[in-house]
Amino acid sequence: MALNMDRRSLLTSAVLGSATLVGATALGSLAPEAAFAKSDDVEPGAPDPNFAEGRVTGINEGMLLVAGSDGTLWRIRVTNASSIWKLHPTSLDKVAVGDGLYARGVRLGDGTLAADAIWVNIVNLQVHIAALAPKKIHFDHRGKRIIGHVVPGVTAASYNSTPAIADMTMVQVGRHAQVIGAWLPDTNEIEIATLYTSTIEHNH
Amino acid sequence: MAGIYGEVSWFCCGSSWGPCGSAGHGACGTCNSGSRQHAWPNTSDACHSITNPEACGESLSRRTCGFKHYTTNRCTGQKVGTTIADCGPQTDLFCGERTCCGSVCGSNRLIDLTPAAFSAISSLSYGLRPAYIDIV
Amino acid sequence: MLAWIGSVQPLLLGAVLLWSAQAKLFSRYAAAHARRTALAPLLGEDRAVLAYRTLAGVEAVLGAALVLPGLVRLEAVAATALSTGFLGYLAYAKIKDPKASCGCLSAQPIPINGRSFGRAGLMLAGSVLALVSGAAWPGAFAAHPVAGVALLLAEFAAIVVFSPEFDEHWLMPLRRLYARLSHPLASPGAFDVPLESTVDQLHKSSAWRDLARSVTSDVREHWDEADWRVLVYSARYAGATASAVFAVPRLRYDPQAVRAAIVDENGGTLAAVESHAQPEYAV
Repeated sequence: MALNMDRRSLLTSAVLGSATLVGATALGSLAPEAAFAKSDDVEPGAPDPNFAEGRVTGINEGMLLVAGSDGTLWRIRVTNASSIWKLHPTSLDKVAVGDGLYARGVRLGDGTLAADAIWVNIVNLQVHIAALAPKKIHFDHRGKRIIGHVVPGVTAASYNSTPAIADMTMVQVGRHAQVIGAWLPDTNEIEIATLYTSTIEHNH
Repeated sequence: MAGIYGEVSWFCCGSSWGPCGSAGHGACGTCNSGSRQHAWPNTSDACHSITNPEACGESLSRRTCGFKHYTTNRCTGQKVGTTIADCGPQTDLFCGERTCCGSVCGSNRLIDLTPAAFSAISSLSYGLRPAYIDIV
Repeated sequence: MLAWIGSVQPLLLGAVLLWSAQAKLFSRYAAAHARRTALAPLLGEDRAVLAYRTLAGVEAVLGAALVLPGLVRLEAVAATALSTGFLGYLAYAKIKDPKASCGCLSAQPIPINGRSFGRAGLMLAGSVLALVSGAAWPGAFAAHPVAGVALLLAEFAAIVVFSPEFDEHWLMPLRRLYARLSHPLASPGAFDVPLESTVDQLHKSSAWRDLARSVTSDVREHWDEADWRVLVYSARYAGATASAVFAVPRLRYDPQAVRAAIVDENGGTLAAVESHAQPEYAV
């Protein structure tokens, strides 16, 4: 823990200490003009070799064993440089057998995927807001009911394209919404990360 | 055609877990979350009558299964090439919605990428990005 | 008793069939919707549209005939046959394609569920009662004006409750009223700024856009430091693995104040970036 605090204070002083600041223009190769490079060389329409999808079947010393929904078996290497999202940024010890995931990284020679980013149980759903209940929003998703839990300190809402805020009281029954959330495995429930919705009626 | 500006999001399809499990392989029967593919609002008359992009003032060409589009995340300039595998998104539900980063904004949902494609140009934990869509 | 109850049923049946027919015939989404009903996998897409329109025509003719007095027995036989057929269709469709829409009372896609069966069952019961009675409705109303109106209202109410198509006219307002009175999502006490809004602000900064293409991960970790929230990402800088560290104002909105640093694995700062007013992208 002390080590963690030291590392955090080092990173904090690196970004907030004023002595080392240089102008952004010094980062020539990172300037916007250089940013419009060609896309990578994966053929459009083809399976992406650097992407994995499936459910966790085992976790072993920094390696996630994942059964792809199409039958592929994946070995995903998690390092200090890998980000793990499970409703919010978290660590490998919060990942459980049975979780679903998407992962992006670099495919190594032995078939292992060295993960850059892992999103655990993430869902992105287009829904109708069917009803509100204490700390819950009932969604209608393709005619099926999904229960969304509002998680204090995490759940945020973006209304009418404005920046996300924690206040959920403007959520309205009957409106369309898009919701990024974390599925609770083998249920019809999710925890809500971000809800994009509107307080204005659209005609359609 | 010149490219078009709009919003990009992601959706899942094919064999999958969770609420995605019932999604199926899309209107083209080929859609998979792990492939570089996308949904387009005008793949057929039936598709077009559901997504109804004209309601938002967007006129999109008819393009069918397998057609290639290139989508640029305007927040970063990262670009990904994908083929049409499904009908969507339902543009008319979100008319006028805007997504911005800095002074760059995109309005109206014109394209949905698979997780494999979206994660190549953005994090999946961001639901929406302003995008530029072209055929090259 | 059963006789007069049965004799007012043609009014209910007729009104429901007429409503159903007009929804199928006049919605601009009708053709597209027909392709998504359970008729499509049963008959094929093109024939589904034809069958959908034909069904609407049959409903319109029978509905009008039921509402007008005369030929009660014949109409009741036809209504019973239609209701039985529809119940059978629902059952078959539910088994064959459980996710399909029923294509019932409107052009909205609504999956087949218990409510669809409840409504079809009510229609069948009404048809059978009308068949058993065989009497025309004007006589029944003359004999039992109050009870007749009350019964019909109750039956229409039951049809509405069984019909998701009408939810937005009664169920949604009730739920909105509940939300307004009980504030189920109100959060008492202090509530921290959600990470999502910090990330949102970060994305509006030039520092993020200058570094975004070097960033390889999502947010790895974050913590608060006085007025700042610090976000750490993994990055690839000059061919090596590094951390991209961003400091974002925590309690105020000021994307131009966002700062960033690239820190290598040994803790050395490779680069630091301050945000600036930014030009438009070329794309």
